[in-house]
Amino acid sequence: MTDTTSQPIPKKEAKGLFQQLELDARLLGMIGAFVILCIGFNIFTDGRFLTPRNIFNLSIQTVSVAIMASGMVFVIVNRHIDLSVGALLATCSAVMAMIQTEWLPGTLGFGLDHPMTWAITIVAGLAVGTLIGAFQGWMVGYLAIPAFIVTLGGFLVWRNVAWYLTSGQTKGPLDSTFLIFGGTNGTLGTTWSWIIGLIAAAAAVWTLWSSRRAKAAHGFGVKPVWAEATISGIITAAILGFVWILNSYNIPTRRLERMFEARGEVMPEGLTVGYGLPISVLILIAVAIVMTMVAKRTRLGRYIYATGGNPDAAELSGINTRFLTVKIFALMGFLCALSAVVASARLANHSNDIGTLDELRVIAAAVIGGTALAGGAGTIYGAILGALIMQALQSGMAMVGVDAPFQNIVVGTVLVLAVFIDIVYRKRVGAK
Amino acid sequence: MATAKELRAQGATPLVEMKDISIAFGGIKAVDHVSVDLHPGEVVGLLGHNGAGKSTLIKVLSGAYQMDSGEIRINGDKVEITNPRDARDHNIETIYQTLALADNLDAASNLFLGRELVTPLGLVDDQAMEAECRKIMGRLNPNFQKFSDPVSALSGGQRQSVAIARAVYFNAKILIMDEPTAALGPHETQMVADLIKQLKAQGIGIFLIDHDVHAVMELCDRASVMKNGQLVGTVDVEDVTDDDLLGMIILGKQPGEK
Amino acid sequence: MKVLGTVSVAAMLMSTAAFADVTVGVSWSNFQEERWKTDEAAIVGALDAAGASYVSADAQSSSSKQLSDIESLIAQGVDALIILAQDAQAIGPAVQAAADEGIPVIAYDRLIEDSRAYYLTFDNVEVGRMQARAVFAAQPSGNYVMIKGSPTDPNADFLRGGQQEIIQAAIDSGAITIVGEAYTDGWLPANAQRNMEQILTANDNNVDAVVASNDGTAGGVVAALTAQGMEGIPVSGQDGDHAALNRVAKGTQTVSVWKDARDLGRAAGEIAVALAGGGMMKDVEGAQSWTSPSGTTMTATFLAPVPITADNLSLVVDAGWITQEALCQGVSGGPAPCN
Repeated sequence: MTDTTSQPIPKKEAKGLFQQLELDARLLGMIGAFVILCIGFNIFTDGRFLTPRNIFNLSIQTVSVAIMASGMVFVIVNRHIDLSVGALLATCSAVMAMIQTEWLPGTLGFGLDHPMTWAITIVAGLAVGTLIGAFQGWMVGYLAIPAFIVTLGGFLVWRNVAWYLTSGQTKGPLDSTFLIFGGTNGTLGTTWSWIIGLIAAAAAVWTLWSSRRAKAAHGFGVKPVWAEATISGIITAAILGFVWILNSYNIPTRRLERMFEARGEVMPEGLTVGYGLPISVLILIAVAIVMTMVAKRTRLGRYIYATGGNPDAAELSGINTRFLTVKIFALMGFLCALSAVVASARLANHSNDIGTLDELRVIAAAVIGGTALAGGAGTIYGAILGALIMQALQSGMAMVGVDAPFQNIVVGTVLVLAVFIDIVYRKRVGAK
Repeated sequence: MATAKELRAQGATPLVEMKDISIAFGGIKAVDHVSVDLHPGEVVGLLGHNGAGKSTLIKVLSGAYQMDSGEIRINGDKVEITNPRDARDHNIETIYQTLALADNLDAASNLFLGRELVTPLGLVDDQAMEAECRKIMGRLNPNFQKFSDPVSALSGGQRQSVAIARAVYFNAKILIMDEPTAALGPHETQMVADLIKQLKAQGIGIFLIDHDVHAVMELCDRASVMKNGQLVGTVDVEDVTDDDLLGMIILGKQPGEK
Repeated sequence: MKVLGTVSVAAMLMSTAAFADVTVGVSWSNFQEERWKTDEAAIVGALDAAGASYVSADAQSSSSKQLSDIESLIAQGVDALIILAQDAQAIGPAVQAAADEGIPVIAYDRLIEDSRAYYLTFDNVEVGRMQARAVFAAQPSGNYVMIKGSPTDPNADFLRGGQQEIIQAAIDSGAITIVGEAYTDGWLPANAQRNMEQILTANDNNVDAVVASNDGTAGGVVAALTAQGMEGIPVSGQDGDHAALNRVAKGTQTVSVWKDARDLGRAAGEIAVALAGGGMMKDVEGAQSWTSPSGTTMTATFLAPVPITADNLSLVVDAGWITQEALCQGVSGGPAPCN
């Protein structure tokens, strides 16, 4: 046998514009639906929906659910479900609130705003979330209790552990450094936002071209250069456009005055300062990138999808599917804790009802984003777009003045419709 | 190199020895004190009806099931195989009847499942895996082209060749094939037969589970027949006829027995 | 009510032209509850009268959705906010956002722990006193059960405080023993019923009176009592829920302290318009300085509630709050007007 009897790689035939760009039809469809939604609301609200301010609000409001939805993708891809995420968020939030307001001051004497407080709090909160997640995963993987039952139990247990820890009281105020993760309280400012935006755009373009180089090095077919350049251009424009929009939302004058007063200075007349990228949105972007890398470029991700596609095959291929389950739920727990940081920092308090019904929003976001409950299929970007679409729907309808019951009726209908469209899409692609 | 038959005659240590293997599911003895062995470069056919226990026996060797009693020796050394990873560590590869493919992944991902090639950073190297996959498929099934589609989009024969590629790629010393031609057309069946001969020539020992007595007669050196969980007997295919084997399978009687 | 009269005058004194474009945003915590519909109608009525327009959002019992709702209302350019807070503290960032934009905030019915908010409510300590007073009048001694409100609602503790003031002397003298006390998570009747059932079981039904903090929880309590054949012992409530008033007519509930939501809504609408027009909080007629239990000094208006018992049931019918048919459903030979 001669060495490289590689398959001859067929020359790409002449194709349509979109085929040459090799864009994901599902992604395009979701972005299209989102854009139509936004434009529709913008018309009905006399242009108030697509203001920098509202886009800033929307992105902040989406973060908590979107972070958890990215973890839910793995859980659902692996043919499980997690009904306990909202409750777990509440427990993590309660633990972190108690650490800041009572336990640290009570034991180590670190008051609020001590430089160590926020760090200890967050590390402990993330550890608690990860451990609880791992424990639930252990019950699913090793004790073979269905995830539905384990997390239904968890839904009751963790919601009420949170209640017990705080005696049902709202805990606050929280550490001022901790609050930076909540949104309006922590933004990068315009200069840093531009810097981050430029770095992100450069990194995205570099990733595209290095992937192209790797393909070419193995002699695989690549897109035409113009197509690659077009996509690079679109991505760069999208990233910088987003930064530009967030930068053009100015900090309200009174708030700015107070900030100057706090520093003992006088605000120059007519000064305006943009908010820029909120830290919480930056966290979401980081989570999205890391989770996508895990899904596509690590063994863990490969095994999650393989196990979802065919659990027996995964087992026979030597994958330890039980421990895999523990890892998936531990990751979900970690992300719940991260969401808890964002959610409680945003409220500047831990409230007893924090995270209520989040499990349903998170599952809905993942499912609207194309995650199949049968397992094996789902994307991180889809889930985040799903969360964004849901938040835009809710926020847009509230702005237009749709009655509360109708808002929920519409969201429920959209959920079912999105899954139906997805099923039809899969069938047509499969039949091709 | 000595042929398998010569090795046996010399009393050489077998590649695989499964001794006195028993396994029961809820009181039903699926495999009842069965012993089989396999030499390098030898093809041993496992025959029997559905439920005779041949697949169960072989899953003990591939690590999918754990035996209740008995022992497994490889090159004379006693080994513990408690899961599929252990089997792989002993260079035992299996082509399952169900193929055991993750339908949602592409051919290369399935080929390397559990043994992915990684970059120096520890990230999965898809390009390298696809390149390797193209090489091996070029040998096994030159018509195969769908490298970027999930294997659910492939035909039965194409899926089979992915499963075979996975067993062959990793330098197996011991190969288990559970009904490898069940889903195939005549042309592809012939390809599998050629492949078995080729692997045999490379000194690989093969357990071949099959329903088809003619195929066994053509490809195998020896045949072990099972019935109701017990071993009816092991025979040299050169010494028996098709009818002898059928008698063993259906009636459980030894060749020559009336 | 004279407070309201003067507020209206204050509103009129502002130039009407300034109100032409005034929009008032209302953030409801849980519009699912029937009673807020009445408040909404009253607020809308007051805003219409002042030529202001009304926008609203419903947080569906979620503190974080309420924060989003308020951000959205601010983005819509409202000139004043009326907030029925889901959580007195967690609403903080929303008040902050409003203050940043110079938008006045009215804490509607529920306290917001922020000195920049104008607190408008009924006198809840007085409500608690009225509840305990009515129960105490009917049952001056014996075993008392205290069914409190939601642990996240500061009103629950105000009410409990007022109740304690009335029965404290009797507790000290040993005439009254409190044999059970429970918070009701989310003010839900089902939770109140469950708590009451447990207290009855724990005390072998040796309970002589129940001070429940609102009509919803009173409903749960009466259901638990009825299951034990104990209906008819004194039970208090508040809100003037139709079902509760019917219970008062039937004799299974002693008192429902009625806070006429129409007064509260009208006052809120008028104060909102006045503040949106640039008025100072302390200039609102009837405004008083008030310090919350956790020490926040606020400007506030307290409206006086009315205890409705079997003796003054006609009042609610005369006020158009409830029809006589609804009030007297299933009642024959009861107190006026059901006789």
